[in-house]
Amino acid sequence: MSSATHDSAPLYEVRNVSKHYGAVVALDDVSMKIHAGEVVGLVGDNGAGKSTLVKVLSGAHQPSHGQILLDGIERHWKSPHDALEAGIETLYQESGLAPHLSVSANVFLGREEVRSGVLGKLGFLAQKSMDVRAHADLERVGIAVPSSSRSVSQLSGGQRQAVAIGRAVAWAKKVIILDEPTNHLGARQAGEVLEVIKAAKEQGLGVIFISHTLPHVLSVTDRIVVLRLGRIVRDAPTSEFNADTLLGTITGLITT
Amino acid sequence: MSLSEPAVEKTIPTAVAEKTTSKSRARGLLGNQQFILLLVWFAMIALFTYLNHIFFSVEVAGNILSDWSPVVLLATGETFVVISGGIDLSVGAVLGFSGVIGAYVMQWMTTNKFEAPITLAAGLVTCALVGLGVGLINALLINKARLVPFIATLATLGAAGGMSIVLTGGGPIAGGPPTAISLSVPWLGPFSTPTLVTIGVVILCGLFLHLARFGRYTYAIGSNAFAARAAGINVQRQITKIYALSGLLAGLAGMYLYLRLGSGSPTSGQGAELDAIAAVVIGGAALSGGEGRMTGTVLGAFILTTVTSGLIIIGVAPNWKQVVVAVLIAGAVSIQQLRRSSGRAA
Ligand SMILES: Nc1ncnc2c1ncn2[C@@H]1O[C@H](COP(=O)(O)OP(=O)(O)O)[C@@H](O)[C@H]1O
Ligand SMILES: [Mg+2]
Repeated sequence: MSSATHDSAPLYEVRNVSKHYGAVVALDDVSMKIHAGEVVGLVGDNGAGKSTLVKVLSGAHQPSHGQILLDGIERHWKSPHDALEAGIETLYQESGLAPHLSVSANVFLGREEVRSGVLGKLGFLAQKSMDVRAHADLERVGIAVPSSSRSVSQLSGGQRQAVAIGRAVAWAKKVIILDEPTNHLGARQAGEVLEVIKAAKEQGLGVIFISHTLPHVLSVTDRIVVLRLGRIVRDAPTSEFNADTLLGTITGLITT
Repeated sequence: MSLSEPAVEKTIPTAVAEKTTSKSRARGLLGNQQFILLLVWFAMIALFTYLNHIFFSVEVAGNILSDWSPVVLLATGETFVVISGGIDLSVGAVLGFSGVIGAYVMQWMTTNKFEAPITLAAGLVTCALVGLGVGLINALLINKARLVPFIATLATLGAAGGMSIVLTGGGPIAGGPPTAISLSVPWLGPFSTPTLVTIGVVILCGLFLHLARFGRYTYAIGSNAFAARAAGINVQRQITKIYALSGLLAGLAGMYLYLRLGSGSPTSGQGAELDAIAAVVIGGAALSGGEGRMTGTVLGAFILTTVTSGLIIIGVAPNWKQVVVAVLIAGAVSIQQLRRSSGRAA
């Protein structure tokens, strides 16, 4: 049931994690790991617990039980800020960008560059430098923006998603978690997102990719974890699945 | 800051480029609300001057400035609050309450033969601290008691306004330094010292709103609080700072009015929150958050106070002011709607 393909120590890991929302058990004794340079697909029906697991991994929620380990060391995220600092970037399903801010303000949100000297101490921003770097860094991960000083509200849905993913990949040091990043995108734009995921993998990041579009999952992942009603029902190399068996595992028609 | 990790060779120029439509040009014209406001203000000045030449004078300008200063102080705090997606209804009551408490302190110090400058400084600090205190209570109610800003600040409006009346019995508190009121006399054209200080404070706040991290986080929270939180911003801490600032500025407005009236009046700030919110909205901020500019607020406050003075000077009953303000708000909001539907057809 576990991935035998990696001999190296896992980069990021959860052990026996449970999460309760009042009486709802969203996650029940879940354990999974991800290695550097590995793309893990996380799939499951609506309400299976995927987003909840993402929030535990990203520090947005604290698990009710269980452990979180980064580089083999147990960590306790108190907020998303802690996880971000440790190199874990997350693109939440419902978060997106701040539409009133510019592309570069979004790319640097929470990590603004300040001016040197006293003005910097007062929090005055090095806006020009951020505009230039945002542009360069998005381009580096494969996303071209006409002007990074343009407001996000002027971008199309696909463009916004591209910026959001580019931002996450550009900042990630260890792990990047993408919760349904190809939702609401056209075929071409979704293809571009998959290319960005491959680029992140080549960069040596661990990628956790959540999607309902099974062909995307099958084409881009190394391993697939199937959640069902808050439990992991299958964790196996992608080569062991095809579209039919993956769908069967998700719906519960196929059990192992 | 490792945005420059090992470069990825594979570059897929994604489709964030693309079209600048004629729509965005239309938006550029309508979009510069500050420019429209400036025109409206100039037109008002021209109209009132045409109707009564006395209007265009240093005396009237001084009057408008001393009406404008407390409004713009409240509206500056309100600008941060509104951009963050909130609202602060307490600022008018805080103005009155801090003025009253400051007046008591200055009355006591004067009775006990403290020097006037020290007494005034103590009054200023008292007003600022009282304002700051109510602002922090607002933040506490919003962050910890989880009240929506409307309810939280409605509660402190009631509490501060009620306490001002209970403490004073409704009358003004005088007996401070006799020189206080002379500070409000204009000496630089229409500008008095408190007005100049007000202008300095507003410019400083504008710089922090538009050029510093403080402003950036304010916009981010109002634009998309979830995204702000996900980006690692401590949203609660920023909310606390914003409401504290709003309270602090209301406290300064309390001191401004004390210097103007020579006493602390419990009723002086009643309804002033509406002027502040009106100035902010006329200035182009959206009550839904994420949008607004300090120059807009400054102009909005000028337009409001110019209307008030103008109507008095041309002999119209001052109560018509409410009607004119209502028309201005409706006009400002419909311009915003136009901009939005022309600019964001995404
Ligand atoms: N904040 C919450 N409060 C209460 N229940 C929640 C909350 N978030 C998710 N749930 C519940 O937890 C379960 C898992 O949800 P979620 O993790 O969003 O699933 P998925 O992303 O796989 O669709 C569902 O039953 C959902 O209703
Ligand atoms: Mg989900």
